[in-house]
Amino acid sequence: MHKELADLINKNVAGANAIAFIAADNKTDSSITVEASHLFKVVEFLKTNNVTSFNSLHVISGVDYVEYMEVCYMLTNYDPANIRDLILKVKITDRVNGHVDSIVKLFAAANFQEREVYDMFGIKFNNHPDLRRILCPDDWEGFPLRKDYIAQKVYNGMNVFPDDKMNMEDREFIVRQEMIKKAQETKAQ
Amino acid sequence: MQSRWDIGQPEKPTLNSDTEQLKSELLTLNMGPQHPATHGVLRIEIWTDSEIVAHAIPHLGYLHRSMEKHAENLDFRGVIPFVDRLDYLASMNMEWTYAMTIEKMLGTEVPRRAELLRILTGELQRIASHLMAFGTYALDLGAFSPFLYAFDYREKILRLFEEVSGARLLYNYIWIGGLWNDWTDEQLTRVGVFCDEMEEEAKKYHELVSMNRIFVERTANVGIMNIQDCLDFGASGPVLRGAGMKWDLRKNAPYSLYNEFDFDVPVGTGEVGQVGDCWNRYIVRMKEVGESIKIIRQVLEKLEPGPIMGKVPKVMKLPAGEVYVRAECPRGELAFHLVAKADEKTPYRLKVKSPCFTHTSMLPRVAPGQMIADFVATVGSIDIVLGEVDR
Repeated sequence: MHKELADLINKNVAGANAIAFIAADNKTDSSITVEASHLFKVVEFLKTNNVTSFNSLHVISGVDYVEYMEVCYMLTNYDPANIRDLILKVKITDRVNGHVDSIVKLFAAANFQEREVYDMFGIKFNNHPDLRRILCPDDWEGFPLRKDYIAQKVYNGMNVFPDDKMNMEDREFIVRQEMIKKAQETKAQ
Repeated sequence: MQSRWDIGQPEKPTLNSDTEQLKSELLTLNMGPQHPATHGVLRIEIWTDSEIVAHAIPHLGYLHRSMEKHAENLDFRGVIPFVDRLDYLASMNMEWTYAMTIEKMLGTEVPRRAELLRILTGELQRIASHLMAFGTYALDLGAFSPFLYAFDYREKILRLFEEVSGARLLYNYIWIGGLWNDWTDEQLTRVGVFCDEMEEEAKKYHELVSMNRIFVERTANVGIMNIQDCLDFGASGPVLRGAGMKWDLRKNAPYSLYNEFDFDVPVGTGEVGQVGDCWNRYIVRMKEVGESIKIIRQVLEKLEPGPIMGKVPKVMKLPAGEVYVRAECPRGELAFHLVAKADEKTPYRLKVKSPCFTHTSMLPRVAPGQMIADFVATVGSIDIVLGEVDR
């Protein structure tokens, strides 16, 4: 399904450069990646055409792969006769001014979802009616779900991230694994 | 320049025609974060024109616990207690969906008895969650006694869960590959007895609340969310079904063993008020309680002794890739978007699609033109849990 859909997108939206990623087995999901600059047109096409219409946007999720960031749009069709889901992705390489077109005009669901992606990853959405942070406070520094995020120490005069925080090392899984390994070694001796 | 309350379909604030002559100004009113009718810590900035709501702007994040960031530092099993705390009124369904996500990537086969018991616990949890919704909704509208009736019966479910999992609210009971603990025959008999009692009790609720004149006046034709709005916002669960759309993942895209079960999908029919209003959303929940009882009875018939834990590797490593798994929870469709990398013991990214977050984003659409008291009824009728909205 994904391959035909990618061909269909390429045929109807010039320059979309849709590439289908087909999962090797049914353990993982397939997806389609398109150019960030053509996202709005692609979603508009997917929503309006009669052959493969997607009438609802479920969620927008961001993923930080360090070299690039991805915004994943989970489109779905609420129609008992033709159930279909699609993971539509765009890649964003610019970590400072990364931006993509907002699709609020097509799906009202995108309003809050795009705000959350902006809040967590710092990806800006062009033409969004109200692009503010949504879960973090408005004056929070940094974008928490990026892999290179370091929590700020002081917020509004409060020490929110003290050095002597209890079990600080426990929070890092890798550190904890090393601790367990060390404990096992001492036990073996 | 678009205004900040514009949510796609521009609507300018309109003043009441009578008050327009008085040149009244919009008054900003904060509903919450400690308002009892917001079911948690939701703050809604309301712009009022006398008693009429001109705009409502939800402010989220008061309960943000950065669960998605924590999950990146925990191993796959360690995330389950965190998932519990998303929707703390339906923890079993949260755990179940998360377990399904990991099992899909691992390719684990869950034993039949475990699947059936998952359905049993999931449906019991659905009843408990809907009872909570019923009680607090009546409380929002000024009726106190339904709350006590509902809590009495919710307590019976929590007692059963406490016996079987050791906890009353946050269970950590459904594990990856199966269940932590088996139900004894004696406990299952009690589930059967509970179903009989609950069926009788539900009739009492209908007599007490559903057709109550005051309740109907407060909820019928209030807060209408039609199908087009629901699709536009990606709503699901009782909100979508209340709008008259027959959509239930358990029926339309069956997961687990739901295709073996015989049950109906109740939808809002508009017998009171009109389709998509608060009353129809309420009645869908109450009818779903009856459907859940049906499913539980069928589970009790099908149950046979057997293992309750599938084969799961001790150190869990998933194949590289991503999955998006959806399931029908009491409040709507919950989904997890999990990205895993090869040879890593932790999720690379775990995104939670929360139905309550979606439904909260619908409030600015339905609020304009409502009375403030009706707005309280609308917020109550979508039954949000802030733990899940803010994550």
